[in-house]
Order: sequence, then C-alpha cells, then structure tokens
Amino acid sequence: MHKRAAGAGRRFESSPFVKEAGALWKQATTAAFLDALAAGNLPGRAFNRWLEQDYHFARGLLSFQAIVLARALRTAQATLIGGLASLDSELSWFEAHAQRRGVSLEAPLHPACRRYTDFLIRAAYTEHPRALVAMLFGVEVSYLAAWSALEPKGAYAEFIERWSNPRFEEYVRALRRLAEEHHDAAGQQLFNEVLVHEREFWRMSREE
Amino acid sequence: MGQPLHAVLWDRAADLVERCVRHPFVEGLGDGTLAEEVFKRYVAQDAYFLRAYLSAYALCAARTRDLEAAALLVDLQQGTLEELDLHAGYARRLQIDLAGVRPYRAAAAYCDFLLRTAWHETLDRTLAAMTPCMRLYFHLGTELARRNGGGGRYGDWVRTYSGEEFGRLVGRLESLLDRVAEDTPAVEDCYLYAMRCEHDFFTAPLEGGP
Repeated sequence: MHKRAAGAGRRFESSPFVKEAGALWKQATTAAFLDALAAGNLPGRAFNRWLEQDYHFARGLLSFQAIVLARALRTAQATLIGGLASLDSELSWFEAHAQRRGVSLEAPLHPACRRYTDFLIRAAYTEHPRALVAMLFGVEVSYLAAWSALEPKGAYAEFIERWSNPRFEEYVRALRRLAEEHHDAAGQQLFNEVLVHEREFWRMSREE
Repeated sequence: MGQPLHAVLWDRAADLVERCVRHPFVEGLGDGTLAEEVFKRYVAQDAYFLRAYLSAYALCAARTRDLEAAALLVDLQQGTLEELDLHAGYARRLQIDLAGVRPYRAAAAYCDFLLRTAWHETLDRTLAAMTPCMRLYFHLGTELARRNGGGGRYGDWVRTYSGEEFGRLVGRLESLLDRVAEDTPAVEDCYLYAMRCEHDFFTAPLEGGP
C-alpha cells in the first residue's frame, strides 16, 4: 500500500498565508466537483473535461515555474528545479492518461483556465520574485489540501492517491518555508488571487 | 489579392463587435442615459487598463528592429498617455479616485492576457491582441457620433474616439499588424479573445462588482 498524506491541508492551516486568506482557503480547496469525484458519481465527461483543462493548466504552470526559477534567489532554486522535474513527469502522465481515456489535449482553453494561466505568467514577469514563491506555494498547497481530504477509493482512486502522497507534501512544505521567509502584503495579495483562480477552476470543472 | 489581415480579422469578429455596439453600456454612453456612477466606475477601470496597455506598447517597441515601427509605437504610447490625461480630467471633474483602483475580474483578466502576451509571446501576437481595443473604440466613437451627434452628456468621450487623429493612429497600427503578422490560428485567437475582453469590460461597470 502507498503511504498517504491524508488530510495534509490541516497541517498548513498554521501558515500565515493560509490564515490571512480567510474564507478563500476553504473555497479554493473544496468543490462540488471533488465531492462528486470522491462519492463515485462524477460523470466521465466532467472528469475528462477537467483532465483536459488541468493539462492546459500544467503547461502554463511549467512556463510560470521556469520563469520563477530564473528570477528566484539562489537559495530557492534547488526546490524549484525539483518542482519543474516533477511537473515534466506530471505532463507525461497526463498525456498517457488522456490517450487511454480518448481525451483530446488540443481542445481550446476554458476561460477560467485561460485567466488563471494568463495571471500566473504575467505575474512571473512583473511581480517580485519573493512574491512569486508565495504564489507557487498557493498553487501547490491548495491542490494538496483539496486532494488529500478525499478517501482514495472508487473509480478515481489513482488520481486521489497521486495528489496526496507524502513526497508531494514534502515539496509543499519546502515551498512553505521559502514563502514564509518573507510574508508581506504584496505576497499575501497574490496568494489570495491564486486561491480565487483555484476556486473558479473547480467551479468550471463542474459546469456543463 | 484578398483583404489585408486587419480587415479579415475585423470581419471574423463581426458578431462580437455587433454585441459591443448594442451593449447597454455603449448605448447609454451614446444617448447620454448612462448613470454617472457607472461611467465613473468605467473610467477608473479603463485608467487601470490603459497602464497595462501602455506597458504592452513599450514591450512591442523593445521587440522591433524596424525604426518606422518604433516611431509608430512611440506615437501610440503618446496617444495612450493622452487618453490617460482625458481620464485624469474626468477624475478631477467627477471625483474619481484613480490611485487606489482595484480591477474588476474583467479588467484583471484583460490586463493579464495583454501583459502575458506582450512579455511572453511574439510581436505579431501582441499586436493582434492590441488592435481590437483601438479599432473597436474608433468604430464605437464613429457610430455614436453618427447616431447621436457629438453632443450629449458623454460627448467628449464620443468626440475623442471618433476624431480624425485617433482614426489615423488606428490605421497606422493596423498597417503595422498587416506587415508583421500572418493569418495564423494564434494571431486570430489573440485578436478574438481581446475583442471578447472588450465586451466583458463594458459589462463589468454595469454590474459594479469585482
């Protein structure tokens, strides 16, 4: 059996970024889409749509992380390089799954996905590198919290396992340390905006 | 043979353009019935957007080695600064706080798209993302001036965007687009998405929320 990072989200609730995000934290880490997925009654079509859009998102995230890596402090770079390597595996994994499920990865971006990746990549160029680490922490910690709250059973158990494993949590802890070295209003604002986009992304996944 | 690229793209955007022309915000602007509160919100959002637009022109200028294009981009930046002056005038007259503007979702999405394209993508795509704003405003200005004359409550807005000088600037931007860009799916996508953003930008101040 795989070890799991069950309920990992709770272990990050002491982070000042999460505390100051207030109600946004819950909105970004819980969703009707996830409830249906965990309960086993999510229509395959809705899951495929999410898979296709999450793949687009991961492609955008790769650009974001690459620019952040280039602009980051030397002390942050090892963690960011590790994150980029994992993201490359993630994209290959998505490609394999999409092929198996007959999902086209050429579908156009949903507006919610487009707004999120535009925001990330714009910010990667225009915001301070310290705040960018806070943004990346926001992206990853909300994803970990959302998935690790679910029981890995049913048709989507493999997906739940994947995004709630202890190595992922370890990476998110490293990002947290880097982000918390410098917690200021600008970083918090961007962290909050990430959570808003996360919320909209989950909502998009549920709509038809 | 065939139409220049800017005309091809404008034709493909015809539905979106029509929706902008008939947009309640635009109609209210034309006949003067638009509530002043809504106009104030719009001015604040537009001033926020124009700062991003100004940066995007600067990034275009940094990407070209063609001196004629560089000169045009300087003129376009100058034009944008004059628009910002117009907004500062509205702000003084109508008491709008332009310093602490928080963008609505529509404005944030448009600015993020524009700046992501300008920083991260190529010159042709960036110009395709920037042209709809200029062409649409000239079209709306001209249309509203024809419909209602240049008078009315928001007459100076209509006169600014229907003016010959503004029209010439639009034409020069479109010829640069024709020279630099080809009809690719990415160029079309940038153009049409920008037009969609324009439409949503008019809706946001009516709704008044983020």
